[in-house]
Amino acid sequence: MSFLDSFFGRNKNSADVAKNRLKIMLAHERASCKLPYMDDLRNDLIAVIRKYTKVEDVKITSQTNQNLELLEVEVILGK
Amino acid sequence: MGIVITVTSGKGGVGKSTTTANLAVGLANLGKKVVAIDFDIGLRNLDMILGLENRIVYDVVDVMEGRCNLAQALINDKKSKTLYFLPASQTKDKDILNKDKVKALIENLKESFDIVMIDSPAGIESGFEHSIFLADRALIVSTPDVSSVRDADRVIGIIDAKSEKATNGQEVEKHIIINRIKPEMVDAGNMLSVEDVLSILALPLIGIVPDDEDIITSTNTGSPIVNKDKSLSAEAYRNIARRILGEDVEFLDIRAKKGILATLKGIFK
Repeated sequence: MSFLDSFFGRNKNSADVAKNRLKIMLAHERASCKLPYMDDLRNDLIAVIRKYTKVEDVKITSQTNQNLELLEVEVILGK
Repeated sequence: MGIVITVTSGKGGVGKSTTTANLAVGLANLGKKVVAIDFDIGLRNLDMILGLENRIVYDVVDVMEGRCNLAQALINDKKSKTLYFLPASQTKDKDILNKDKVKALIENLKESFDIVMIDSPAGIESGFEHSIFLADRALIVSTPDVSSVRDADRVIGIIDAKSEKATNGQEVEKHIIINRIKPEMVDAGNMLSVEDVLSILALPLIGIVPDDEDIITSTNTGSPIVNKDKSLSAEAYRNIARRILGEDVEFLDIRAKKGILATLKGIFK
């Protein structure tokens, strides 16, 4: 951004906008897919649960608290 | 015993094949025995960039399926005598590669070459997985734009998960190449800078290649730009080749050359 732009308080330059958008996006993506076996686990779970019930979807989320890593499995059976 | 270097990116069109071609030629010119393999099954490209498309008889799938032997399929570059090329197959079945056969081929090539350079396909499907499976090193090519950096980040995250090295407790050595940077745009604050990209991807840099129209011309004629004398991008590729071999080479100054007029315009813009 040139000197006069900043002096008159014109818009932020686009490279900064790009950088911020990327940082937010990647922080989100890195958090949601840090377990490489997530997809396989999900497919296996669906296969097992399907033996007993009619399952529509399995949602798996991972969370990290201070000293506890948590895997939350939500089984959606439909209505 | 040679090493395997995979050039990858996630996103398509960021210059993987151009990078592979120029680095393969650059490394061969430094005296290394190099084989470049195009793993983009169904979408052969590296042959045209290297200018070897008219000499293809057999391809990588022919070798793996035993329809010919390795020596029959390898194409020797006329200019860089220690460079060989193994083209991708044009079959429509892009899942034709098989892990064991890929492994047998690469292990075989490692016996007789110093460097096996693999041009990975875009995406993170099976073609990518095969090309990264036996990699000792990975060069991740990214252009300074949001979609390319985002995809590069994804790919970096799965390289280790898909490589044999990682299953043995080792790590694939990973480096970033920032391609097609436009110094004037970075100066004007309208393009992510090298520092921006590196701070996001958090991997060491091995090269910066400036945006250069001559690369289009050199692709048109099938003569990799790295052979050109007075060219900043050629210099950039030559430097990357030397860094790959462990040399400590200073990064090029690719800042825009500004006249007084441009500087003044910059102030009043």
